[in-house]
Amino acid sequence: MNAIDVASLRKSYGSLTAVDDLSFTVARGETFGLLGPNGAGKTTTIGMIVGALSPDGGSVTVDGESDPTRPALRQRIGVAPQALALYQDLTAEENLRFFGSLYGLSGGRLAERVLWALDFSGLAERRRDRVSAYSGGMQRRLNLVCGLLHDPPVILLDEPTVGVDPQSRNAIFESIEQLKREGRTILYTTHYMEEAERLCDRVAIMDRGKILALDTVEALLRAHGGPERAVSHVTIERGTLEDVFLHLTGRMLRD
Amino acid sequence: MNAIWAIAAKDLRLLLRDKADLFWVLGFPILIAFFFGSISGGGGKRAVMPVAIVDQDQTAYSRAVVKQLRSSEALRAEEASLDSARLLVRRGDLVAYVALLPGTGESFGFGGDSTSGVEIGVDPRRTAEREYMRGLVTAALFQSMQGSYASGGGGREMIQGSLERLRADTTLGAEVRGQRSRLLQSLDQFMSVLDSTGGAAGPIAAAGGSSAGGNASGGPNLRVVEIAEEDSGPRSAYEVTFPSSIAWALIGVCMSFAVSIVYERITGTFLRLRLAPISRSQVLAGKGLAAFLAALAAVSFVLLIGVTAFHVRVSNPLLLAAAIASSAFCFTGIMMIVATLGRTPASVSGAGWAIMMIMSMTGGGMVPLIAMPAWMQRVSDFSLVKYAVLSVEGAVWRGFGWSEMLPVLAILLSAGAAGVVIGTRVLQARDH
Repeated sequence: MNAIDVASLRKSYGSLTAVDDLSFTVARGETFGLLGPNGAGKTTTIGMIVGALSPDGGSVTVDGESDPTRPALRQRIGVAPQALALYQDLTAEENLRFFGSLYGLSGGRLAERVLWALDFSGLAERRRDRVSAYSGGMQRRLNLVCGLLHDPPVILLDEPTVGVDPQSRNAIFESIEQLKREGRTILYTTHYMEEAERLCDRVAIMDRGKILALDTVEALLRAHGGPERAVSHVTIERGTLEDVFLHLTGRMLRD
Repeated sequence: MNAIWAIAAKDLRLLLRDKADLFWVLGFPILIAFFFGSISGGGGKRAVMPVAIVDQDQTAYSRAVVKQLRSSEALRAEEASLDSARLLVRRGDLVAYVALLPGTGESFGFGGDSTSGVEIGVDPRRTAEREYMRGLVTAALFQSMQGSYASGGGGREMIQGSLERLRADTTLGAEVRGQRSRLLQSLDQFMSVLDSTGGAAGPIAAAGGSSAGGNASGGPNLRVVEIAEEDSGPRSAYEVTFPSSIAWALIGVCMSFAVSIVYERITGTFLRLRLAPISRSQVLAGKGLAAFLAALAAVSFVLLIGVTAFHVRVSNPLLLAAAIASSAFCFTGIMMIVATLGRTPASVSGAGWAIMMIMSMTGGGMVPLIAMPAWMQRVSDFSLVKYAVLSVEGAVWRGFGWSEMLPVLAILLSAGAAGVVIGTRVLQARDH
């Protein structure tokens, strides 16, 4: 059984078709990327998968259940929305305790999970500072762990690295890779190619609400990267500009 | 239920951390009440107590006591008959009356039987005023007695009067009469010496004060008579302005939470609430509970300030509790409706304040209900602010019983329930 099964999903806003006959599946333990430009329909798709939006047509099945609004199913889904969903006037710890309590966590279990989340996001030292005093990267990391507090097996991450510095982005990547190693199912939306390339087992490239291609990164390259050509040249190995940046400024989180 | 409490606790915490919101909810209503109360003559009135003085004794001593009381800066004293004084206190026009009954002068207000001495009439709920009056009257009795002795002639006149009554009293034995007669004659001699030396004031004053203070009869013959006030009107301007100012506390809470619902929607936290394993009704119930508790706390706080700092007196605490709870519920419902008036904080705030200002202007939030002309009172029937203010006034100074209060509470509760149902349905429908 697949962790996520999307079949012929459709959603329109007036004359604008945001999602058009979309179908894909995500296997258990797989990291699946929805890659597309802004306005491709990625966030609308996530909204319908988690039950925040009602589809005009088609169906969604998560963990074998077709009604994502059922509380029992929501307990098994973790979401990091694209928009920062945090209370700016509360501290990180207060945000985590509040969102944890909505998932039925309490007492020792809640305290344990809050500690884990603070540690996982590298915010333990700033736990008692209000979120409004955090940098963009810190808020993104907190936004991510707020969706992981209840230890869900299925995780939906909607552009989790928007607007963060390379250190925080790297920390988020490492967090996601750890979640992958733990065997969780991850649906990851982004418009950064290198993120999809680094993190995702399979990638669906979307535009205008439709999937244009869906496969492993390697297969997509083979299929759409043009004919293979034998080119003889000398390869000088060197890093990317991001490697240079991280080398000069360090990999340590700055906030 | 835990989730609802968690949402309510979070919203209350956010309210407490927003100083601007807190000012509108708590500070502004108190400022309004103080401002309008003071310009309406509320300030300073409590410092001078209006009282009536009844002199049924009509002796030199009783006149001296009256003079002492009238000279007190703490009192605004007017002379009246006993019946008239009792009526004025019962109507709440005066705080108390002091009656110097026949025979007071003979005993200097000390000793004597139950028909003589001094009577203080005051409402039993005015415990502070009662004790204050007791202190003022006792001081006046001592000072007048001291003055009588110190003035020589007045004191000797009283001694001669006492000697004459003693001689005429056939109920006393000859031995007792002789002892008392000798004592009074010695005192008369002593005072005649003082008169001739002109040194009365200092030592006699001290002697008079001391002797009166340690009077063997056990102190002044003071009786406090309970005169229950009829509660027929506000006793100070603050009893009008504080109930009116609760409108601003309710409006502040209402607007703060209505805007917070819309703000959550645009910042994304509402999405996270909706993705949690709780129903939409629970999310809105949590918001409503927070608004209700905040309204309860804000109105209670404003009235507490009125009671403790501005001497607003609550006629019926149970009715007041019912009025506060019903008003808070009503404005929770209004809050849910206001939250549906726009899709951005600015639009909700603009539309909400426009409605609230009209409701407040016509409902007694700006012009007190008691001061409205007849036509405006009819218009105010359409404002829910009126019923919130009226319910609190009913428990504070209008003297409402349950039969008068229940219709007002029914209107508040019905409007609140309608607001909660309509607001919740519209907000839920908007989520789809």
